[in-house]
Amino acid sequence: MTDALRYDGKVALITGAGNGLGRAHALLFARRGARVVVNDLGGSATGGGHSSAAADRVVAEIKEAGGEAVANYDSVEDGGKIVQSALDHFGRIDIVVNNAGILRDSSFLKMTDSDWDLIQRVHVNGAYKVSHAAWPHLREQKYGRILFTASAAGLYGNFGQANYSTAKLGLVGLGFTLAAEGRKYNIGVNTIAPIAGSRLTETILPKELIDALRPEYVSPLVAWLAHEQCEETGGIFEVGGGFFAKLRWERTAGQMFRIGRDITPELLRTHWSTVVDFSKTTHPEDVTRALQPVMDNVNAGASKGGNEFIDVDLALGYEFPPISTRYDERDLSLYALGVGAAADPLDDLDLRHVYEMHGQGFTALPTYAVIPALTGVMNAFRDGQSAPGLNYGLDRLLHGEQYTELRRPLPPKAKLSHRTWVKDIFDKGKNALVVMAIESTDETGEVLAYNELGAVIRGAGGWGGDRGPSSDINTPPDRAPDFVRSEKIGANQALLYRLSGDWNPLHVDPGFATAFGFPRPILHGLCTFGYAARHALRALEIDPRKFKSIKVRFADSVFPGETLVTEIWRESPTRAILRAKVLERDKVVLSNAAIEFYTEIPNTAPKAKAQVQAAATAAAPAIKAVPNSADVFTAIGQFLQKQPELAAKAATVFQFKLSAPESVWTIDCKANKVAQGELAAPECTLELSDADFMDMCTGKADAQQLYMGGKLKIGGNLMASMKLNFLKKLDPELVLANMRARVGAASSESPAPAPAADTGPNSADVFIAIRDHIERNPELAAKIQTVFAFKLKEPESAWTIDLKAGKGAVHEGLQGSADCTLELKDSDWMAMTSGKADPQQLYMGGQLKIAGNVMASTKLGFLKKIDMNAAKAAIAAHRGQVSGASKPAQASQPAPTKTAQAPLIADRLVRKLADSKHDAPLTLALHVKDPASEWSITLGPQGGHIVAGPGDKPSATLTIADDDLLALAQGKTSAQQLFQRGKLRVDGDVQAAHYLGLIEGSL
Amino acid sequence: MTNKVHVIGVGMVKFAKPGASDDYHVMAANAARTALKDAGVEYTDIDQVFAGYVYGDSTCGQRAVYELGLTGVPVVNVNNNCSTGSTALFAGRQAVLSGEAQCVLVVGFEQMEKGALASKFNDRPTPLDPQASLMNDVQGINAAPGAAQMFGGAGREYRWKYGTRRETFAKISEKARKHANNNPYAMFSDLLSVEEILASPEVFDPLTRYQCCPPTCGAAAAIICSAEFAKKRGLQGGVYIAAQAMRTDYPSTFNEQSMIKMVGYDMAKHCANAVYERAGLGPKDIQVIELHDCFTANELLTYEALGLCPEGEAEKFIWDGDNTYGGKWVTNPSGGLLSKGHPLGATGLAQCTELVWQLRGQAEKRQVAGAHTALQHNLGLGGACVVTLYRRD
Repeated sequence: MTDALRYDGKVALITGAGNGLGRAHALLFARRGARVVVNDLGGSATGGGHSSAAADRVVAEIKEAGGEAVANYDSVEDGGKIVQSALDHFGRIDIVVNNAGILRDSSFLKMTDSDWDLIQRVHVNGAYKVSHAAWPHLREQKYGRILFTASAAGLYGNFGQANYSTAKLGLVGLGFTLAAEGRKYNIGVNTIAPIAGSRLTETILPKELIDALRPEYVSPLVAWLAHEQCEETGGIFEVGGGFFAKLRWERTAGQMFRIGRDITPELLRTHWSTVVDFSKTTHPEDVTRALQPVMDNVNAGASKGGNEFIDVDLALGYEFPPISTRYDERDLSLYALGVGAAADPLDDLDLRHVYEMHGQGFTALPTYAVIPALTGVMNAFRDGQSAPGLNYGLDRLLHGEQYTELRRPLPPKAKLSHRTWVKDIFDKGKNALVVMAIESTDETGEVLAYNELGAVIRGAGGWGGDRGPSSDINTPPDRAPDFVRSEKIGANQALLYRLSGDWNPLHVDPGFATAFGFPRPILHGLCTFGYAARHALRALEIDPRKFKSIKVRFADSVFPGETLVTEIWRESPTRAILRAKVLERDKVVLSNAAIEFYTEIPNTAPKAKAQVQAAATAAAPAIKAVPNSADVFTAIGQFLQKQPELAAKAATVFQFKLSAPESVWTIDCKANKVAQGELAAPECTLELSDADFMDMCTGKADAQQLYMGGKLKIGGNLMASMKLNFLKKLDPELVLANMRARVGAASSESPAPAPAADTGPNSADVFIAIRDHIERNPELAAKIQTVFAFKLKEPESAWTIDLKAGKGAVHEGLQGSADCTLELKDSDWMAMTSGKADPQQLYMGGQLKIAGNVMASTKLGFLKKIDMNAAKAAIAAHRGQVSGASKPAQASQPAPTKTAQAPLIADRLVRKLADSKHDAPLTLALHVKDPASEWSITLGPQGGHIVAGPGDKPSATLTIADDDLLALAQGKTSAQQLFQRGKLRVDGDVQAAHYLGLIEGSL
Repeated sequence: MTNKVHVIGVGMVKFAKPGASDDYHVMAANAARTALKDAGVEYTDIDQVFAGYVYGDSTCGQRAVYELGLTGVPVVNVNNNCSTGSTALFAGRQAVLSGEAQCVLVVGFEQMEKGALASKFNDRPTPLDPQASLMNDVQGINAAPGAAQMFGGAGREYRWKYGTRRETFAKISEKARKHANNNPYAMFSDLLSVEEILASPEVFDPLTRYQCCPPTCGAAAAIICSAEFAKKRGLQGGVYIAAQAMRTDYPSTFNEQSMIKMVGYDMAKHCANAVYERAGLGPKDIQVIELHDCFTANELLTYEALGLCPEGEAEKFIWDGDNTYGGKWVTNPSGGLLSKGHPLGATGLAQCTELVWQLRGQAEKRQVAGAHTALQHNLGLGGACVVTLYRRD
């Protein structure tokens, strides 16, 4: 065996080695090269007598076999002497096996003090004495292994062994602590619970079994745990008869009561099954982890109370499983009709909300934003999903308040995912108010809408909890309303509205309504809500796309067929107070309401890139061949061969390390050579993704921009990277030619697509080129101030060129209201943009239809300035992205949720702070971002502490990302460096931030 | 004293935003005409011209003064980043001191683009390479304007060292606006509160937008002459330059990994000390100062570099009001670069113009009472610092 575990040069000390287990251990160590101290007092199994015979026998045995050993006859209670004999004879000590032991079994009733004391002295004090004497030597040499010998009796208890089991489990605790203290010094400490036939077990095990349990089955574990290669420490092992196993603590998930709750024996009885439930468990490995639940509970703060209906501690903050929904123009139109829009079918403004082909562009009625969110919540309720701690039925629930906010206009269709959580729970006295928050995100991953649904839970209040903010908000000013809109609600309006998703029979079933105490079915509160919002938008003459938010309280019911009167008080250009009444009964039905607007239409496409990309995918499905980075490098090589003066000027060796997919390339401008792999020692190394590299080479991104954005890492000479600007002069045709050559070469494997057909531009390409042109000429939007819609036929596609908002944008599909809509065939569009046909000619010939502002179409002259050759690179790059999308497609996937490091760091800080005393008391608020958490660090003369939550009057507020906090805790950076780099923001006393030094290197 | 160089005429045009000004040669010619008129001399009396500007092709100086006439006079074009104007003054003063010229026109002008300062020649290493590398090591580089990152970084370092509050930086801008409010030549003369300044968009913490000087177009000029010339024309008894020094970078700019040092703290300190020594005067003898407040952070650092307060005590200095009327000194009575604007080539001469007015008692509402000695500090990264001490007898 070449990889045999040897102990040459090591010195092992084994106590009680004259017989049984100790003897077996000694023989094994000696056989494998260790020099052994064989300690044995030579007493009987019960601790009587004293003789050197046993130890001498084992030493003789070892020497006979060619090993090296020395005998020692001291009691383990004189541990120092035993260790000294190792040092005297061999000059060192490496391995200590605490094996010596005796038995004084007796039932507890009959047990004498001497039985008890002797056992503790030999087992506990003896193991302590020997280990303690060896410890400084092990620590000094940064290597050592200690073994304690426990027993099943200690782990599980055993009749007649009260003294012995106490001592044995005592050793387990000693082993844990020494493992913790020795970890830093490479001292491994483990405890074994052997079962073997020895003098000690003769009294409790039958003879036959003892014969089967030979000590030789135990010693290999001792030897392995004692070897330098074994990194195990702090373990407990059961061993014997061929069985080897490790033990650990297991703990139930347990029952937690928030601090401040009245914890009674009865409460504990109620929750006992949870306390002892091992179906969910943890295995804490150290004190810190063991204390985690308690720390969490302390950090969570005091209980917020509750009653039989609501347990605030459990429910508050609970997040439901995510839900996804989708909608399209049909859903939007149906909703608009449901809230009474377009009652006059000739009303052009309302027609925008119901007619998907509207000349001004289809526009969603913004209050639709409540529907997908509410549908999600209602479906969850219907499926029996509820938050823990909310123990009431729908019968107690009234929709009391609604807040709906849009971050940008609703697109005509979208797929949404909703995050729903219990945001607030307020004790309103008799009733409770439970506020659910719903955040709706669209396909781009950006939040589109946010809703708060305030439910009044009748009769569920009164636990003395937080009453919440004053409800007396948005009260109308003391003057006549600025606008009043009055509208009769259709008698069958509820029947129409419910098709948008609120199926509650209360709004349709007369019998059901009667049972609930209403003379007939009532209108949905949210239908009234939609009416009122619509009234406000029209009265204030606000573009619906500028809608920001609406908040209402539902004060009373409305019956279909009644007349709704909406009163509007304009507070500012972006805000108005609302109140709605029923004319016939003069009852306020919506109160404390306000509507808010954005001053400008928010950007409708937060990720226009992704959309254009998606559009390009849709519009150009036939594309198969795309240039890759190898094509580009080959082209660079050819390019530099043709223009050696450029290489000579740069005179630098660049190395590119591309990722996703990985490749390494060298551009050696000194030798004018470009090749894959590492050619010469690079002076400047650039690390970036393959896709970003393609963007850089096609002029879509520049190196500086990528560097600033952290997408490009530059090693070596930072400034040399500037010389790479010559890449901009690279002709994209050269890249395409390489691609064609590559595709052609591979055509034997795949049916070769005609390369020419693949690379010819299509209408999507032209729009991408236009977008590229607009991006390069941001002044165009200011000049042209027009939104153009294009409806192309054969094949069908639709595009919007928005030269009104911001710097201008190009979107696929019809977005917003166009000033001018152009309809023509795809082929005519291509002819027009390539200069083969003239727009006027097409218009006169009837091939081009222009709706809306015909004169605006003359502004399209800028299209002539688009250099299609220049745009080729952009097109190629986009096609590159299109095909890339099928490979990594990371862009559209949400980032994996990050685990916060702050709690761990805070945990480590607890002890450090307790020891850290400061004369002047000081509080620091620590705001951690991504993921967010909030901490308060207090320093004072009595030591400091850290707790979760906002601090009281902090001297300084420190804002830092979780990642950066981790880097600080790991000692990878300093607080000052983070501050200088803007990664640590300090508000208030900057010098107080110096105390962050406490965190440095705490992990 | 034989080495007195008299400043007999000054003039400037009202500074304007990019796009809203005359072209550079028109602005420069107007400033020069005003200065000539102020001095009471003719263009034909001028023996040499020193023209300062940063952005523009070669010989813009000629293009500007050719508006005044074609006299064959020597014209020297000067470019030294933000300290260009005072570098031209430095060169002009030397011409007078050498005896080669009796009467010199110094003109500075700049026609700037919108947006932050940027490098114009991207096909070669920028002169600020070493500074950029150092900054990359100390704090990384982000998308904020480069100069704001450099001076803002120095502000960060100062804050970390001395615990300075953000309000203190903002307070400097508040003061600048108060002063500018009385200056008809300033670009931004509306008052701003500390709160408004702090609430403006953050450019590079601790700097917010209202703590950064704006890109500006403008021109300013000065006529300087020998004692002999002044005597001959009966112009003695006015303002003269008592001492002047120019310094470039020391090793500390690059080898202390310090942003404060990188933006030229030691260069300014040495330069000011040289001037004090030559003049035999100290800060206590001075009443009014125009200093280079391209960013609030730099005004704060400059208080210490000029020895107005001990290192680390600028915060107290500011809140004690020792930088404004009623305090120990009035710094930037014109509103400074922050409010008056910062047309790079013109700034040094606009500072000179303001101080000459102050010493003559012509500064109207913003007159510093009893001003007889004035100090000018003009600094550019790359770098150069010029400090000039003016007096009137």
